[in-house]
Amino acid sequence: MYPNEKGYYGRYGGRFVPETLIPALDKIEQAYRQLSVDPEFQEEINYYLKHYVGRESPLYLCQRLSREFGARIYLKREDLNHTGSHKINNTLGQALLAKRMGKERLIAETGAGQHGVATATAAAVLGMKCTVYMGARDMQRQRLNVFRMRMLGAEVKEVSKGSQTLKDATNEAFRDFIQSFEYSHMLIGSAVGPHPYPMMVRDFQSVIGRELKEQFKNLEGRLPSYILACVGGGSNAIGVFYPFLKEEVKLIGVEAGGRGISPGEHCATLAQGDDGILHGALSRLLQDENGQILDTHSISAGLDYPGVGPEHTYLRENGRVSYVNVSDEEAINGFLKLSEYEGIIPALESAHAVAYALKMAPELPAESSLVINLSGRGDKDTEEVSRYLEERQEVL
Amino acid sequence: MSLIRKLMLHYQQEQKPALIAFIMGLLPNEDLCLDCIKALEQGGCDILELGVPFTDPLADGEMIERFHHRGTKQGLNLKRGLEFAHRVKNSCNMPLILFTYYNPLYRMGLDKFMQEARAAGIEGLIVPDLPLDEMYVLKGYGIEPIPMLAPSSTDERVQMAAQQQAAFIYCVSVRGVTGMRSLPEQEIIDYLQRVRTDTRTPLALGFGISGPQQVETFRDYADAVVVGSYLARIIEEYEARPRLLPGQMEKAFSELGKAREGKHGSV
Repeated sequence: MYPNEKGYYGRYGGRFVPETLIPALDKIEQAYRQLSVDPEFQEEINYYLKHYVGRESPLYLCQRLSREFGARIYLKREDLNHTGSHKINNTLGQALLAKRMGKERLIAETGAGQHGVATATAAAVLGMKCTVYMGARDMQRQRLNVFRMRMLGAEVKEVSKGSQTLKDATNEAFRDFIQSFEYSHMLIGSAVGPHPYPMMVRDFQSVIGRELKEQFKNLEGRLPSYILACVGGGSNAIGVFYPFLKEEVKLIGVEAGGRGISPGEHCATLAQGDDGILHGALSRLLQDENGQILDTHSISAGLDYPGVGPEHTYLRENGRVSYVNVSDEEAINGFLKLSEYEGIIPALESAHAVAYALKMAPELPAESSLVINLSGRGDKDTEEVSRYLEERQEVL
Repeated sequence: MSLIRKLMLHYQQEQKPALIAFIMGLLPNEDLCLDCIKALEQGGCDILELGVPFTDPLADGEMIERFHHRGTKQGLNLKRGLEFAHRVKNSCNMPLILFTYYNPLYRMGLDKFMQEARAAGIEGLIVPDLPLDEMYVLKGYGIEPIPMLAPSSTDERVQMAAQQQAAFIYCVSVRGVTGMRSLPEQEIIDYLQRVRTDTRTPLALGFGISGPQQVETFRDYADAVVVGSYLARIIEEYEARPRLLPGQMEKAFSELGKAREGKHGSV
């Protein structure tokens, strides 16, 4: 099984951080390994997941969309979780862990703000302090989430260095953590970072896939033919894929193709990247020929990141998961179609998975089934989408 | 034996610290950087640690980080850093340590990098995001990898660093990133003494050395001190008056030189 004891998935993963942080990571790993087999801790997490988050999240068959596009299209409704995305599954788990370790403060990085909101929420309910780092550009395009975090009592720190997006927010969160780990826990929101983060995030998010397996069996008496999820760092994708890795289900990760394949125009890390080290792990990266990390673009702030979790890189290499990408335009189309046909406004991140499902569905036999992990709701994106549509109309 | 080792042993015997300067390569521009380096040597700097700008320098605090971003915006990278190291080596006698984050080096390929680094005259290597467990990849190329320790390091980590038998161990003096205020004096002294019980490897203290006063404070406890942000601050202050800058660098170092003799307070 992986990761191995040094945190490697095949040859990816590991710990590439300043020596200062190693003792902090060791302590987190030790506490996590103890608590993950502690029934009392598991009960505590399950309590919050059920009564606070509202799990389990429904599995919903999109009747109109399926009729229009083909196959049987299902949604795993992570958008219905408290705070509006899958992020809360992980933030509650890690916050409870941090609390058990005696930490009083949480540090988070955020792109779209969903992880920031979910961390601020966990901090509020558990009575902890919270600082969220967010790129200046993302703060503009995701204003609603900035308000939400502040209302929840979190301190939101603007990062106006470098690309002003998730990558630089993550750098800044690491710098904070390097100084404050004695009383703070860095709550990484994606399946990235140094060991044990990718493993912890995967485990906390795997509740999605475990539920789905049960729900689908109850509904159809079998397993789905396909499961799709969007991939930025890859937390919702690994969460829904992981319990199906040994099953005969086709797994598809959908990356953000942005405006096209030229450098700086997309975030299709697995498709276009090369092996490299960022934010503590060896994985795939969008970088130039000299190893400088490239700027990225995606219409969705949550996918706007030049790296990807090491486990995804591993799953791509061994062929277990296929990774594809869709453009900004296709994602917007997915966003609109799901809204129009099913009355569900998806997050722009999740709209990437919707878009690819709509591309696939017409080619599939009617009885085949396709589950989209609808990782978040789209209220936060309505402004961004209307801006996009207005700009496009001007061009037309 | 490498020149770095010889120098460190020399100062260890003399019971005063070697002076190491960190400076970001090629900034504010190539010629001015070279003039600064020559001035540092004039001022009494023993070893030069040459930085390579990287887009995501997460071990660096605000001051040095600004230099990374300035550098990467100008398109600077490891390849240019190595070319510059070559020039530096031809203009001064200080042994040269290259400071680079791991990704650029990984991207170039270890074999190719080490070959070019040796050709450029580089003797030592500091990779701040490569912890002790992963440092083995740098060994066997004829360049000295410099292990790092921090105040948070457990005895187990200290022993790991000791086992590297390095030219010296870089002991980070802050709980944090470069340029932060060092820990209280007594904590640093205790920390250095704790490391000292496990190893005879010379110890360099750096990351938060703010000037001559601290050099004097730690002269009896560290075998070397590294100054980086202190110099970066001078560069930022004087770069608009580039003709004055090298003189200021030399002055800064001669003051550090007095401080290591214990004579800072008396000047």
